[in-house]
Amino acid sequence: MTASVPESDPVALATESLVTYSVRLPVFEGPLDLLLHLIRINEVEITDIPIARIGEQYLEYLRLMGELDLEVVGEYLVMASTLAWIKSRMLLPAERVGEDGEEVDPRAELIARLLEYQRFKEVAAELGERKRLGRDVFAAHAAGLEAPAESEREIDVELFDLVEAYRRALAASRESDARPHEIEAEEITVRERMLEIMTVLEPRASIDFDVLLREEPHRPYTRLLVVVTFLAILELTRLAAIRIYQGLDDRGVPDGPIHLRRAIDPGDTAWIDQIPESM
Amino acid sequence: MSQIDKRRIAEALILASPEPISTARLAKLIPRCTPAKARALVDELNAEYLAQGRAFEICEVSGGYQMRSHAEFAPYLQQLQNARPLRLSNAALETLAIVAYRQPLTRAEVENVRGVDAGPVMRSLLERKLIKLAGHREVPGRPMLYATTKRFLEIFGLADLDDLPTLRELEEIALEAADIGDAFAAQDVESLAAELDAGPDAPPGAEISLEDVEVVGKPH
Repeated sequence: MTASVPESDPVALATESLVTYSVRLPVFEGPLDLLLHLIRINEVEITDIPIARIGEQYLEYLRLMGELDLEVVGEYLVMASTLAWIKSRMLLPAERVGEDGEEVDPRAELIARLLEYQRFKEVAAELGERKRLGRDVFAAHAAGLEAPAESEREIDVELFDLVEAYRRALAASRESDARPHEIEAEEITVRERMLEIMTVLEPRASIDFDVLLREEPHRPYTRLLVVVTFLAILELTRLAAIRIYQGLDDRGVPDGPIHLRRAIDPGDTAWIDQIPESM
Repeated sequence: MSQIDKRRIAEALILASPEPISTARLAKLIPRCTPAKARALVDELNAEYLAQGRAFEICEVSGGYQMRSHAEFAPYLQQLQNARPLRLSNAALETLAIVAYRQPLTRAEVENVRGVDAGPVMRSLLERKLIKLAGHREVPGRPMLYATTKRFLEIFGLADLDDLPTLRELEEIALEAADIGDAFAAQDVESLAAELDAGPDAPPGAEISLEDVEVVGKPH
Protein backbone atom coordinates (compact mmCIF):
# COMPACT_ATOMS: atom_id res chain seq x y z
CA MET A 1 0.00 0.00 0.00
CA THR A 2 2.28 2.78 -1.16
CA ALA A 3 1.29 6.09 -2.65
CA SER A 4 2.26 5.71 -6.25
CA VAL A 5 3.21 8.95 -7.91
CA PRO A 6 3.61 9.44 -11.62
CA GLU A 7 7.14 10.68 -12.25
CA SER A 8 6.01 13.36 -14.63
CA ASP A 9 4.02 15.25 -11.99
CA PRO A 10 6.36 17.72 -10.23
CA VAL A 11 3.73 18.76 -7.66
CA ALA A 12 3.03 15.22 -6.66
CA LEU A 13 6.76 14.54 -6.49
CA ALA A 14 7.29 17.51 -4.19
CA THR A 15 4.37 16.45 -2.03
CA GLU A 16 5.77 12.98 -1.78
CA SER A 17 9.18 14.19 -0.65
CA LEU A 18 7.44 16.30 2.03
CA VAL A 19 5.45 13.33 3.11
CA THR A 20 8.47 11.05 3.38
CA TYR A 21 10.10 13.77 5.41
CA SER A 22 7.33 14.12 7.96
CA VAL A 23 6.18 10.57 8.56
CA ARG A 24 7.36 7.13 7.85
CA LEU A 25 4.47 4.82 7.46
CA PRO A 26 5.12 1.13 7.49
CA VAL A 27 3.00 -0.96 5.19
CA PHE A 28 0.63 -3.42 6.76
CA GLU A 29 -1.09 -6.46 5.36
CA GLY A 30 -4.39 -5.51 6.96
CA PRO A 31 -6.04 -4.51 10.22
CA LEU A 32 -4.82 -7.62 12.08
CA ASP A 33 -1.27 -6.97 10.95
CA LEU A 34 -1.51 -3.35 12.08
CA LEU A 35 -2.87 -4.42 15.47
CA LEU A 36 -0.06 -6.93 15.94
CA HIS A 37 2.42 -4.17 15.13
CA LEU A 38 0.84 -1.82 17.69
CA ILE A 39 0.85 -4.59 20.27
CA ARG A 40 4.54 -5.18 19.60
CA ILE A 41 5.67 -1.55 19.75
CA ASN A 42 3.63 -0.97 22.90
CA GLU A 43 5.24 -4.05 24.42
CA VAL A 44 1.90 -5.34 25.61
CA GLU A 45 0.60 -8.88 25.49
CA ILE A 46 -1.71 -10.15 22.79
CA THR A 47 -3.75 -11.86 25.45
CA ASP A 48 -4.23 -8.70 27.50
CA ILE A 49 -4.59 -5.84 25.05
CA PRO A 50 -5.13 -2.39 26.55
CA ILE A 51 -8.00 -1.69 24.19
CA ALA A 52 -8.30 2.05 24.88
CA ARG A 53 -4.62 2.79 24.16
CA ILE A 54 -4.28 0.44 21.19
CA GLY A 55 -7.61 1.59 19.78
CA GLU A 56 -6.52 5.20 19.90
CA GLN A 57 -3.27 4.47 18.10
CA TYR A 58 -5.14 2.40 15.57
CA LEU A 59 -7.40 5.35 14.73
CA GLU A 60 -4.35 7.62 14.60
CA TYR A 61 -2.89 5.35 11.97
CA LEU A 62 -6.10 5.44 9.94
CA ARG A 63 -6.00 9.25 10.10
CA LEU A 64 -2.45 9.21 8.78
CA MET A 65 -3.50 6.94 5.97
CA GLY A 66 -6.22 9.44 5.13
CA GLU A 67 -3.78 12.35 5.15
CA LEU A 68 -1.50 10.47 2.82
CA ASP A 69 -4.41 9.85 0.49
CA LEU A 70 -3.98 6.15 0.98
CA GLU A 71 -7.20 4.35 0.52
CA VAL A 72 -8.49 3.31 3.90
CA VAL A 73 -10.13 0.09 2.88
CA GLY A 74 -13.30 -1.19 4.46
CA GLU A 75 -11.60 -3.87 6.52
CA TYR A 76 -9.71 -1.24 8.52
CA LEU A 77 -12.94 0.58 9.31
CA VAL A 78 -14.68 -2.62 10.37
CA MET A 79 -11.84 -3.29 12.79
CA ALA A 80 -12.07 0.29 14.12
CA SER A 81 -15.71 -0.26 14.97
CA THR A 82 -14.92 -3.64 16.53
CA LEU A 83 -12.35 -1.96 18.77
CA ALA A 84 -14.85 0.74 19.72
CA TRP A 85 -17.42 -1.92 20.54
CA ILE A 86 -14.98 -3.88 22.70
CA LYS A 87 -13.96 -0.70 24.50
CA SER A 88 -17.57 0.07 25.37
CA ARG A 89 -18.18 -3.51 26.50
CA MET A 90 -15.18 -3.31 28.79
CA LEU A 91 -16.76 -0.34 30.54
CA LEU A 92 -20.08 -2.06 31.12
CA PRO A 93 -20.78 -4.83 33.58
CA ALA A 94 -20.40 -8.25 31.96
CA GLU A 95 -23.37 -9.29 29.96
CA ARG A 96 -22.14 -12.33 28.20
CA VAL A 97 -21.49 -15.22 30.52
CA GLY A 98 -19.80 -18.42 29.45
CA GLU A 99 -21.02 -21.94 30.09
CA ASP A 100 -19.07 -22.17 33.32
CA GLY A 101 -20.78 -19.03 34.62
CA GLU A 102 -17.66 -16.93 34.28
CA GLU A 103 -17.56 -13.60 32.54
CA VAL A 104 -16.59 -13.69 28.90
CA ASP A 105 -13.80 -11.26 28.09
CA PRO A 106 -15.17 -9.04 25.31
CA ARG A 107 -11.68 -9.17 23.81
CA ALA A 108 -11.63 -12.98 23.58
CA GLU A 109 -12.69 -13.24 19.96
CA LEU A 110 -10.26 -10.57 18.80
CA ILE A 111 -7.45 -12.22 20.78
CA ALA A 112 -8.23 -15.56 19.16
CA ARG A 113 -8.08 -13.99 15.70
CA LEU A 114 -4.82 -12.24 16.47
CA LEU A 115 -3.23 -15.44 17.74
CA GLU A 116 -4.47 -17.33 14.72
CA TYR A 117 -3.16 -14.68 12.33
CA GLN A 118 0.14 -14.51 14.20
CA ARG A 119 0.73 -18.23 13.78
CA PHE A 120 0.14 -18.07 10.02
CA LYS A 121 2.40 -15.03 9.77
CA GLU A 122 5.10 -17.12 11.40
CA VAL A 123 4.83 -20.07 9.02
CA ALA A 124 4.52 -17.68 6.07
CA ALA A 125 7.86 -16.18 7.12
CA GLU A 126 9.31 -19.69 7.38
CA LEU A 127 8.01 -20.54 3.92
CA GLY A 128 9.51 -17.32 2.60
CA GLU A 129 12.91 -18.27 4.00
CA ARG A 130 12.91 -21.75 2.54
CA LYS A 131 15.28 -22.40 -0.30
CA ARG A 132 13.14 -21.74 -3.32
CA LEU A 133 13.37 -23.53 -6.64
CA GLY A 134 14.43 -21.11 -9.36
CA ARG A 135 15.80 -18.60 -6.86
CA ASP A 136 18.08 -20.47 -4.48
CA VAL A 137 18.26 -23.96 -5.87
CA PHE A 138 18.01 -25.25 -9.40
CA ALA A 139 16.90 -28.65 -10.56
CA ALA A 140 18.59 -30.97 -12.99
CA HIS A 141 16.35 -32.45 -15.62
CA ALA A 142 16.77 -33.64 -19.14
CA ALA A 143 15.08 -31.63 -21.83
CA GLY A 144 13.29 -33.76 -24.38
CA LEU A 145 12.32 -36.52 -22.00
CA GLU A 146 8.66 -36.53 -21.22
CA ALA A 147 7.74 -38.80 -18.38
CA PRO A 148 4.59 -40.79 -18.81
CA ALA A 149 2.67 -41.15 -15.58
CA GLU A 150 3.60 -43.85 -13.09
CA SER A 151 3.29 -47.42 -14.35
CA GLU A 152 2.32 -46.26 -17.80
CA ARG A 153 3.90 -46.45 -21.17
CA GLU A 154 2.64 -45.02 -24.38
CA ILE A 155 0.90 -47.50 -26.58
CA ASP A 156 -1.54 -47.16 -29.40
CA VAL A 157 -4.85 -47.70 -27.77
CA GLU A 158 -6.81 -49.98 -30.02
CA LEU A 159 -10.08 -48.56 -31.16
CA PHE A 160 -11.62 -51.64 -29.61
CA ASP A 161 -10.33 -50.69 -26.15
CA LEU A 162 -11.79 -47.24 -26.48
CA VAL A 163 -15.11 -48.59 -27.60
CA GLU A 164 -15.04 -51.02 -24.70
CA ALA A 165 -14.46 -48.16 -22.24
CA TYR A 166 -17.24 -46.26 -23.97
CA ARG A 167 -19.56 -49.24 -23.64
CA ARG A 168 -18.81 -49.55 -19.91
CA ALA A 169 -19.45 -45.86 -19.38
CA LEU A 170 -22.70 -46.08 -21.29
CA ALA A 171 -23.84 -49.04 -19.23
CA ALA A 172 -23.10 -47.10 -16.05
CA SER A 173 -24.99 -44.09 -17.38
CA ARG A 174 -27.99 -46.30 -18.05
CA GLU A 175 -28.08 -47.30 -14.39
CA SER A 176 -27.79 -43.68 -13.48
CA ASP A 177 -30.51 -42.67 -15.94
CA ALA A 178 -32.80 -45.15 -14.25
CA ARG A 179 -32.53 -43.34 -10.95
CA PRO A 180 -35.76 -41.41 -10.60
CA HIS A 181 -34.48 -38.30 -8.84
CA GLU A 182 -32.24 -37.19 -11.67
CA ILE A 183 -34.47 -35.45 -14.10
CA GLU A 184 -32.57 -32.45 -15.38
CA ALA A 185 -30.70 -33.21 -18.54
CA GLU A 186 -28.03 -30.63 -19.16
CA GLU A 187 -27.43 -29.52 -22.70
CA ILE A 188 -23.77 -29.64 -23.52
CA THR A 189 -21.97 -29.35 -26.82
CA VAL A 190 -18.90 -31.26 -27.91
CA ARG A 191 -17.01 -28.00 -28.08
CA GLU A 192 -17.90 -27.11 -24.49
CA ARG A 193 -16.95 -30.56 -23.34
CA MET A 194 -13.59 -30.32 -25.12
CA LEU A 195 -12.85 -27.09 -23.27
CA GLU A 196 -13.91 -28.71 -20.00
CA ILE A 197 -11.67 -31.70 -20.52
CA MET A 198 -8.68 -29.46 -21.25
CA THR A 199 -9.47 -27.44 -18.12
CA VAL A 200 -9.44 -30.63 -16.06
CA LEU A 201 -6.11 -31.50 -17.68
CA GLU A 202 -4.67 -28.04 -17.05
CA PRO A 203 -3.21 -28.64 -13.58
CA ARG A 204 -2.30 -32.28 -14.16
CA ALA A 205 -0.84 -34.23 -17.00
CA SER A 206 -3.29 -37.09 -17.20
CA ILE A 207 -6.62 -38.47 -16.08
CA ASP A 208 -8.47 -41.78 -16.29
CA PHE A 209 -11.19 -41.96 -18.88
CA ASP A 210 -13.54 -43.37 -16.25
CA VAL A 211 -12.56 -40.78 -13.67
CA LEU A 212 -13.21 -37.99 -16.13
CA LEU A 213 -16.85 -38.98 -16.21
CA ARG A 214 -17.08 -39.32 -12.47
CA GLU A 215 -15.25 -36.06 -11.80
CA GLU A 216 -18.39 -34.03 -11.55
CA PRO A 217 -20.74 -35.55 -9.03
CA HIS A 218 -23.07 -32.57 -9.32
CA ARG A 219 -23.77 -33.35 -12.97
CA PRO A 220 -26.13 -36.17 -13.85
CA TYR A 221 -24.13 -39.01 -15.36
CA THR A 222 -26.26 -39.30 -18.45
CA ARG A 223 -25.99 -41.10 -21.73
CA LEU A 224 -25.77 -37.73 -23.45
CA LEU A 225 -22.80 -36.74 -21.31
CA VAL A 226 -21.01 -40.01 -22.08
CA VAL A 227 -21.58 -39.66 -25.81
CA VAL A 228 -20.49 -36.03 -25.85
CA THR A 229 -17.43 -36.84 -23.74
CA PHE A 230 -16.43 -39.65 -26.06
CA LEU A 231 -16.75 -37.44 -29.14
CA ALA A 232 -14.84 -34.65 -27.40
CA ILE A 233 -11.98 -37.05 -26.58
CA LEU A 234 -11.77 -38.29 -30.15
CA GLU A 235 -11.76 -34.74 -31.48
CA LEU A 236 -9.08 -33.63 -29.00
CA THR A 237 -6.96 -36.61 -30.05
CA ARG A 238 -7.37 -35.67 -33.69
CA LEU A 239 -6.23 -32.11 -32.91
CA ALA A 240 -3.26 -33.63 -31.03
CA ALA A 241 -4.20 -31.75 -27.87
CA ILE A 242 -4.30 -35.01 -25.92
CA ARG A 243 -2.92 -38.50 -26.29
CA ILE A 244 -4.57 -41.68 -25.18
CA TYR A 245 -2.62 -44.14 -23.08
CA GLN A 246 -3.17 -47.44 -21.45
CA GLY A 247 -1.00 -49.20 -18.90
CA LEU A 248 0.82 -52.43 -19.72
CA ASP A 249 0.87 -55.46 -17.48
CA ASP A 250 4.08 -57.41 -16.74
CA ARG A 251 3.96 -59.21 -20.07
CA GLY A 252 3.52 -55.99 -21.95
CA VAL A 253 -0.15 -56.54 -22.64
CA PRO A 254 -2.37 -53.46 -22.46
CA ASP A 255 -4.27 -53.58 -19.25
CA GLY A 256 -6.14 -51.36 -16.84
CA PRO A 257 -7.87 -48.04 -17.28
CA ILE A 258 -7.39 -45.84 -20.31
CA HIS A 259 -5.71 -42.54 -19.59
CA LEU A 260 -5.94 -39.22 -21.35
CA ARG A 261 -2.71 -37.28 -21.33
CA ARG A 262 -2.30 -33.63 -22.17
CA ALA A 263 0.00 -33.40 -25.22
CA ILE A 264 0.42 -29.63 -25.27
CA ASP A 265 1.66 -27.04 -22.77
CA PRO A 266 -0.95 -25.95 -20.21
CA GLY A 267 -1.31 -22.41 -21.59
CA ASP A 268 -1.39 -23.47 -25.24
CA THR A 269 -4.79 -22.67 -26.74
CA ALA A 270 -3.97 -22.91 -30.45
CA TRP A 271 -6.04 -26.08 -30.74
CA ILE A 272 -9.23 -24.18 -29.88
CA ASP A 273 -9.09 -22.35 -33.22
CA GLN A 274 -9.04 -25.66 -35.02
CA ILE A 275 -12.29 -26.97 -33.62
CA PRO A 276 -14.71 -27.26 -36.53
CA GLU A 277 -17.54 -24.75 -36.39
CA SER A 278 -20.06 -27.56 -36.42
CA MET A 279 -18.96 -28.86 -33.00
CA MET B 1 24.21 -56.64 -10.82
CA SER B 2 26.26 -55.03 -8.12
CA GLN B 3 25.03 -52.46 -5.67
CA ILE B 4 27.31 -49.90 -7.31
CA ASP B 5 25.70 -50.53 -10.70
CA LYS B 6 22.26 -50.05 -9.24
CA ARG B 7 23.41 -46.88 -7.62
CA ARG B 8 24.56 -45.56 -10.98
CA ILE B 9 21.24 -46.50 -12.61
CA ALA B 10 19.37 -44.65 -9.87
CA GLU B 11 21.67 -41.69 -10.41
CA ALA B 12 21.01 -41.64 -14.17
CA LEU B 13 17.25 -41.92 -13.67
CA ILE B 14 17.10 -39.13 -11.11
CA LEU B 15 19.39 -36.92 -13.20
CA ALA B 16 17.38 -37.26 -16.38
CA SER B 17 13.84 -37.49 -15.05
CA PRO B 18 11.84 -34.44 -16.14
CA GLU B 19 9.99 -34.40 -12.84
CA PRO B 20 10.70 -35.71 -9.33
CA ILE B 21 10.86 -39.50 -9.58
CA SER B 22 9.27 -41.60 -6.84
CA THR B 23 10.85 -44.54 -4.99
CA ALA B 24 8.13 -46.77 -6.46
CA ARG B 25 9.11 -45.71 -9.95
CA LEU B 26 12.82 -46.19 -9.26
CA ALA B 27 12.10 -49.63 -7.81
CA LYS B 28 10.29 -50.58 -11.00
CA LEU B 29 13.00 -49.38 -13.35
CA ILE B 30 16.05 -50.63 -11.45
CA PRO B 31 16.48 -54.43 -11.69
CA ARG B 32 15.68 -56.33 -8.48
CA CYS B 33 14.93 -53.27 -6.41
CA THR B 34 12.29 -52.29 -3.86
CA PRO B 35 11.16 -48.81 -2.81
CA ALA B 36 13.11 -49.23 0.45
CA LYS B 37 16.24 -50.23 -1.48
CA ALA B 38 15.75 -47.30 -3.84
CA ARG B 39 15.66 -44.98 -0.85
CA ALA B 40 18.89 -46.56 0.42
CA LEU B 41 20.51 -46.03 -2.99
CA VAL B 42 19.60 -42.34 -2.84
CA ASP B 43 21.12 -42.06 0.63
CA GLU B 44 24.32 -43.69 -0.65
CA LEU B 45 24.45 -41.30 -3.60
CA ASN B 46 24.00 -38.28 -1.35
CA ALA B 47 26.75 -39.57 0.95
CA GLU B 48 29.00 -39.88 -2.12
CA TYR B 49 28.22 -36.34 -3.26
CA LEU B 50 28.88 -34.98 0.19
CA ALA B 51 32.21 -36.80 0.45
CA GLN B 52 33.24 -35.55 -2.99
CA GLY B 53 32.05 -32.00 -2.27
CA ARG B 54 29.76 -31.88 -5.28
CA ALA B 55 27.64 -28.81 -6.13
CA PHE B 56 24.36 -30.67 -5.90
CA GLU B 57 22.41 -33.21 -3.92
CA ILE B 58 19.32 -35.36 -4.36
CA CYS B 59 16.31 -33.78 -2.65
CA GLU B 60 12.95 -35.29 -1.86
CA VAL B 61 10.31 -33.01 -3.30
CA SER B 62 6.67 -33.46 -4.19
CA GLY B 63 6.69 -37.20 -3.65
CA GLY B 64 9.88 -37.92 -5.59
CA TYR B 65 13.60 -37.35 -5.93
CA GLN B 66 15.25 -34.55 -7.83
CA MET B 67 18.83 -33.38 -8.20
CA ARG B 68 19.18 -29.80 -7.08
CA SER B 69 22.13 -27.46 -6.87
CA HIS B 70 23.22 -26.17 -3.48
CA ALA B 71 21.91 -22.73 -2.58
CA GLU B 72 25.43 -21.24 -2.48
CA PHE B 73 25.57 -21.39 -6.28
CA ALA B 74 22.37 -19.38 -6.73
CA PRO B 75 24.18 -16.13 -7.73
CA TYR B 76 25.81 -17.92 -10.66
CA LEU B 77 22.80 -19.92 -11.71
CA GLN B 78 20.42 -16.97 -11.58
CA GLN B 79 22.44 -15.36 -14.37
CA LEU B 80 21.82 -18.43 -16.47
CA GLN B 81 18.05 -18.31 -16.37
CA ASN B 82 15.85 -16.09 -18.47
CA ALA B 83 12.85 -15.91 -16.19
CA ARG B 84 13.12 -13.80 -13.10
CA PRO B 85 12.80 -15.81 -9.91
CA LEU B 86 9.31 -16.15 -8.54
CA ARG B 87 8.62 -13.19 -6.29
CA LEU B 88 6.09 -13.62 -3.55
CA SER B 89 4.78 -10.78 -1.42
CA ASN B 90 4.05 -11.22 2.28
CA ALA B 91 0.36 -11.29 1.39
CA ALA B 92 1.01 -14.11 -1.09
CA LEU B 93 3.07 -16.09 1.42
CA GLU B 94 0.48 -15.68 4.17
CA THR B 95 -2.30 -16.76 1.83
CA LEU B 96 -0.28 -19.74 0.62
CA ALA B 97 0.43 -20.77 4.20
CA ILE B 98 -3.25 -20.62 5.12
CA VAL B 99 -4.28 -22.62 2.04
CA ALA B 100 -1.50 -25.16 2.63
CA TYR B 101 -2.53 -25.93 6.22
CA ARG B 102 -6.29 -25.64 5.89
CA GLN B 103 -6.93 -27.08 2.43
CA PRO B 104 -9.30 -27.52 0.86
CA LEU B 105 -10.87 -24.25 1.92
CA THR B 106 -12.88 -21.36 0.53
CA ARG B 107 -11.75 -17.84 -0.18
CA ALA B 108 -13.96 -16.59 2.67
CA GLU B 109 -12.08 -18.83 5.09
CA VAL B 110 -8.76 -17.36 3.96
CA GLU B 111 -10.20 -13.88 4.44
CA ASN B 112 -11.38 -14.84 7.92
CA VAL B 113 -7.82 -15.51 8.99
CA ARG B 114 -6.12 -12.61 7.24
CA GLY B 115 -8.85 -10.05 7.84
CA VAL B 116 -8.55 -8.62 4.32
CA ASP B 117 -9.90 -9.30 0.84
CA ALA B 118 -8.05 -12.29 -0.59
CA GLY B 119 -9.37 -12.10 -4.17
CA PRO B 120 -6.44 -10.50 -6.00
CA VAL B 121 -3.81 -12.50 -4.13
CA MET B 122 -5.57 -15.79 -4.72
CA ARG B 123 -6.05 -14.99 -8.38
CA SER B 124 -2.33 -14.37 -8.74
CA LEU B 125 -1.51 -17.60 -6.90
CA LEU B 126 -3.89 -19.46 -9.22
CA GLU B 127 -2.23 -17.91 -12.26
CA ARG B 128 1.17 -18.91 -10.97
CA LYS B 129 -0.18 -22.41 -10.39
CA LEU B 130 0.73 -22.46 -6.72
CA ILE B 131 -2.89 -23.09 -5.78
CA LYS B 132 -5.70 -24.72 -7.72
CA LEU B 133 -9.43 -25.10 -7.62
CA ALA B 134 -10.45 -28.18 -5.73
CA GLY B 135 -14.18 -28.56 -6.23
CA HIS B 136 -16.98 -26.94 -4.28
CA ARG B 137 -18.06 -27.08 -0.70
CA GLU B 138 -21.50 -28.62 -0.68
CA VAL B 139 -23.20 -25.81 1.20
CA PRO B 140 -25.60 -23.17 -0.10
CA GLY B 141 -23.85 -21.12 -2.75
CA ARG B 142 -21.42 -23.99 -3.40
CA PRO B 143 -18.31 -21.86 -2.83
CA MET B 144 -15.14 -22.88 -4.66
CA LEU B 145 -12.54 -24.75 -2.69
CA TYR B 146 -8.83 -24.12 -3.08
CA ALA B 147 -5.82 -26.36 -2.48
CA THR B 148 -2.09 -26.17 -3.09
CA THR B 149 -0.52 -27.74 -6.19
CA LYS B 150 2.38 -30.11 -6.79
CA ARG B 151 4.23 -27.11 -8.10
CA PHE B 152 3.86 -25.49 -4.68
CA LEU B 153 5.69 -28.47 -3.14
CA GLU B 154 8.38 -28.32 -5.82
CA ILE B 155 8.97 -24.58 -5.51
CA PHE B 156 9.31 -24.75 -1.74
CA GLY B 157 11.22 -28.03 -1.73
CA LEU B 158 8.65 -29.92 0.33
CA ALA B 159 8.45 -33.72 0.14
CA ASP B 160 4.71 -33.58 0.83
CA LEU B 161 2.20 -31.57 2.86
CA ASP B 162 3.33 -33.25 6.09
CA ASP B 163 6.71 -31.71 5.41
CA LEU B 164 5.35 -28.19 6.07
CA PRO B 165 6.80 -26.41 9.07
CA THR B 166 4.85 -27.23 12.19
CA LEU B 167 2.09 -24.79 12.94
CA ARG B 168 2.71 -23.60 16.48
CA GLU B 169 0.06 -24.37 19.02
CA LEU B 170 -2.03 -21.33 19.93
CA GLU B 171 -1.26 -22.05 23.59
CA GLU B 172 2.42 -21.70 22.89
CA ILE B 173 2.06 -18.33 21.20
CA ALA B 174 -0.24 -17.10 23.96
CA LEU B 175 2.08 -18.29 26.73
CA GLU B 176 5.05 -16.69 25.06
CA ALA B 177 3.15 -13.44 24.83
CA ALA B 178 1.59 -13.55 28.26
CA ASP B 179 3.05 -14.14 31.67
CA ILE B 180 1.83 -17.45 32.94
CA GLY B 181 -1.24 -17.05 35.12
CA ASP B 182 -2.29 -13.89 33.36
CA ALA B 183 -5.82 -12.70 32.76
CA PHE B 184 -6.16 -14.93 29.78
CA ALA B 185 -5.98 -18.33 31.36
CA ALA B 186 -4.37 -21.14 29.41
CA GLN B 187 -7.59 -23.09 29.48
CA ASP B 188 -9.37 -20.31 27.64
CA VAL B 189 -6.77 -20.55 24.93
CA GLU B 190 -7.26 -24.28 24.82
CA SER B 191 -10.97 -24.02 24.23
CA LEU B 192 -10.35 -21.34 21.63
CA ALA B 193 -7.78 -23.52 19.96
CA ALA B 194 -10.24 -26.39 19.80
CA GLU B 195 -12.82 -24.07 18.32
CA LEU B 196 -10.43 -22.75 15.72
CA ASP B 197 -9.11 -26.17 14.79
CA ALA B 198 -12.66 -27.23 14.07
CA GLY B 199 -12.47 -24.70 11.25
CA PRO B 200 -14.73 -21.79 10.55
CA ASP B 201 -18.28 -22.37 9.39
CA ALA B 202 -17.58 -25.88 8.21
CA PRO B 203 -20.59 -28.07 8.83
CA PRO B 204 -19.53 -31.62 9.66
CA GLY B 205 -19.33 -33.85 6.65
CA ALA B 206 -19.09 -30.97 4.22
CA GLU B 207 -15.36 -31.38 3.95
CA ILE B 208 -14.20 -33.14 0.82
CA SER B 209 -11.13 -35.20 1.47
CA LEU B 210 -8.05 -34.10 -0.40
CA GLU B 211 -7.57 -37.45 -2.08
CA ASP B 212 -10.71 -37.31 -4.11
CA VAL B 213 -10.72 -33.72 -5.16
CA GLU B 214 -9.16 -32.32 -8.23
CA VAL B 215 -10.13 -29.44 -10.39
CA VAL B 216 -13.63 -29.71 -11.70
CA GLY B 217 -14.33 -26.08 -12.45
CA LYS B 218 -12.75 -23.49 -14.61
CA PRO B 219 -10.61 -20.73 -13.18
CA HIS B 220 -12.59 -17.57 -13.26
